[in-house]
Amino acid sequence: MALIQARAATDPTLETEVVTYREALFRAMRDALARDPRVIIFGQGVDDHKGTFGSTLGLAQEFGAARVFDTPLAEEGMTGIAIGAALNGLYPIQTHIRSDFVLLAMNQIVNLAAKYKYMFGGRFEVPMLIRMVIGRSWGQGAQHSQSFQSLFAHVPGLTVIMPASAQSILECYPYVIGRHRGPVLAIEHRLMYDLKFRMDEVAEKANGSPLTSRKVRAGNDVTIVATSIMVLEAQRAAEHLARVGGIQCEIIDLNCVSHPDRSLIVESVGRTGKLLVADTSWQAYGVCAEICRIVCEHSPSALKAPVVTLGMQPAPCPTAKSLEDRYYPNLRDLTDAVATLVTGTDHHGIPLPDEHSMADVYKRFKGPF
Amino acid sequence: MKFPGIYEELFYKALRIRLVEERIIELYPSDKIQSPVHLSIGQEAVAVGACQSLKQTDLLFCSYRSHAFYLAKGGHLREMFAELYGKATGCGHGKAGSMHLAAPEVGLMGSSAVVASTIPHAVGAALAAERLKKPQVIVAVFGDGATEEGAYHESLNFAALHKLPIVLLCENNGLAVHSKLEARQAYRITDQAKSYGLPVAYLADGHDVVKVHEVFSGIVGEVRRSRCPHFVEIRTCRYKEHVGPDEDSHAGYRSVEELQAWKSKDPLILNQELVAQYRPVILQEIDDAVEFAERSPWPERSELLSDVV
Repeated sequence: MALIQARAATDPTLETEVVTYREALFRAMRDALARDPRVIIFGQGVDDHKGTFGSTLGLAQEFGAARVFDTPLAEEGMTGIAIGAALNGLYPIQTHIRSDFVLLAMNQIVNLAAKYKYMFGGRFEVPMLIRMVIGRSWGQGAQHSQSFQSLFAHVPGLTVIMPASAQSILECYPYVIGRHRGPVLAIEHRLMYDLKFRMDEVAEKANGSPLTSRKVRAGNDVTIVATSIMVLEAQRAAEHLARVGGIQCEIIDLNCVSHPDRSLIVESVGRTGKLLVADTSWQAYGVCAEICRIVCEHSPSALKAPVVTLGMQPAPCPTAKSLEDRYYPNLRDLTDAVATLVTGTDHHGIPLPDEHSMADVYKRFKGPF
Repeated sequence: MKFPGIYEELFYKALRIRLVEERIIELYPSDKIQSPVHLSIGQEAVAVGACQSLKQTDLLFCSYRSHAFYLAKGGHLREMFAELYGKATGCGHGKAGSMHLAAPEVGLMGSSAVVASTIPHAVGAALAAERLKKPQVIVAVFGDGATEEGAYHESLNFAALHKLPIVLLCENNGLAVHSKLEARQAYRITDQAKSYGLPVAYLADGHDVVKVHEVFSGIVGEVRRSRCPHFVEIRTCRYKEHVGPDEDSHAGYRSVEELQAWKSKDPLILNQELVAQYRPVILQEIDDAVEFAERSPWPERSELLSDVV
């Protein structure tokens, strides 16, 4: 498996192309409309002056209101309309500016989209993409901050991706829209929209599907399986630990949460003997639990230490910054957890990075949304 | 088959549906049909009258009570019985059962066991027809209970807002499982639909198959011409229990007199002369379909995990 460097570009001397997460999304959306007249994009505010955080900005003007249009506040109805449109020849892309709102469409996603192919004996396909954005920081609170990847990935028939880089977007979205024949849910992270990514190793995957997991850092001391923005946090922690502690982390970006590359995970854990899972959501019954299931079912004896998991605190998200900073695992927690796991002691003596708030590191905008 | 007039043709089609469902009732105790059945007996004329003016390329979306619409739209009887039997030759390869009949080859695009859930699909299909300039008419079929769901209102709003080529057909049998309409609705269905600016038609007698056909044909022609949405409500009567093969008027949740009133004007009961004329040929077709289901193979084990993603 090719090693894909998906790290946020912080080095000003980079010569390779640098693309933000937002630009990658915009490119994917614009290219989809340009390539196929059957593609339509709809969602709350896709044609307004904000353009879904810039990812659809100006596309209604360029491609017309028949193809890029605002919708009533009707999440379930609009997902059903997307299914019907797909059944009759369009490729619908539905957007949600917060993933929390997708819960209103769960009936159509779980009872209909996920089952339309199987339930009718393979006689129908519903190729469609539902984009949603996880909010975080600046007081997003309990209903603008949730990560529902495990809810969706639990249901057979759905494909769930969580791009952790511009590369992933530019590899996965064109594939999903142009070649995949089923419903896909893409969970994007608001804090990543302004981040820049090096595009030096975007691989055109002529044969293989990009809807799988990817190794983004090689190492032999510990395996970190991460999702979305936690992949970036894992990379920052790994670089710190390599620098100050001589610890080499292997990082797997889960990327396709519904269809992870199990052999990649099992092989890695077989080599490192140590597993840390870092997810953007709650640990219970979620990605953390699922990765543990994969390892326990395939290679339980590979583990030389108990698995460590990191996620949101088991509570709704608070708005106060002092609480919110404790709600999510930060770089210091993650680095400490990895160092403890690798050394086998919490008296590891490895200096920890002093950043407390991940939001401060990643955030370029100052609210409100 | 040649018919002397439209009444005979529609009568034949309605009788065929009734006799199919009566065969299902006969077969049910044998446990060969291991699937919940929501019978359309009493409501056949609505399906037959509505589908008469539709082309195969016009698309129809149904609920779980869809045997009548499946047959009226042109779905194959053999594949329907095979599906009820859970056989590989069924219209859903044995994965659909009674509640998820579909026949894309004749425009039946699916049926769902979740009330109102296919109404937005019909609207989406109409959106695609409009955007891709397909000369189709799309039909959403739903019961009175579906009009209480949020997705129904979301669908009507969008269809009206975007002026889509769709007929919204409410089969009002006055019952949601065992709950009467009066216990559920603070509005009148057609008045409410009118509030979205939809042209509305109302038919009090869903047994009058020729009338249903004439009214629906006019609406379909209008949608085909104007490419704008229309709404029609047709009163009808479910003779059997919500799910299953029996009558349950003794249970007390519905009026026995009302049921009798509907039966007293049911052409399939009244016109025994025509029943006697058409019955033999229909029974022959049903025998063949049941035989086909009986001798068809079960789905292969590999089918369990095929067509998931």
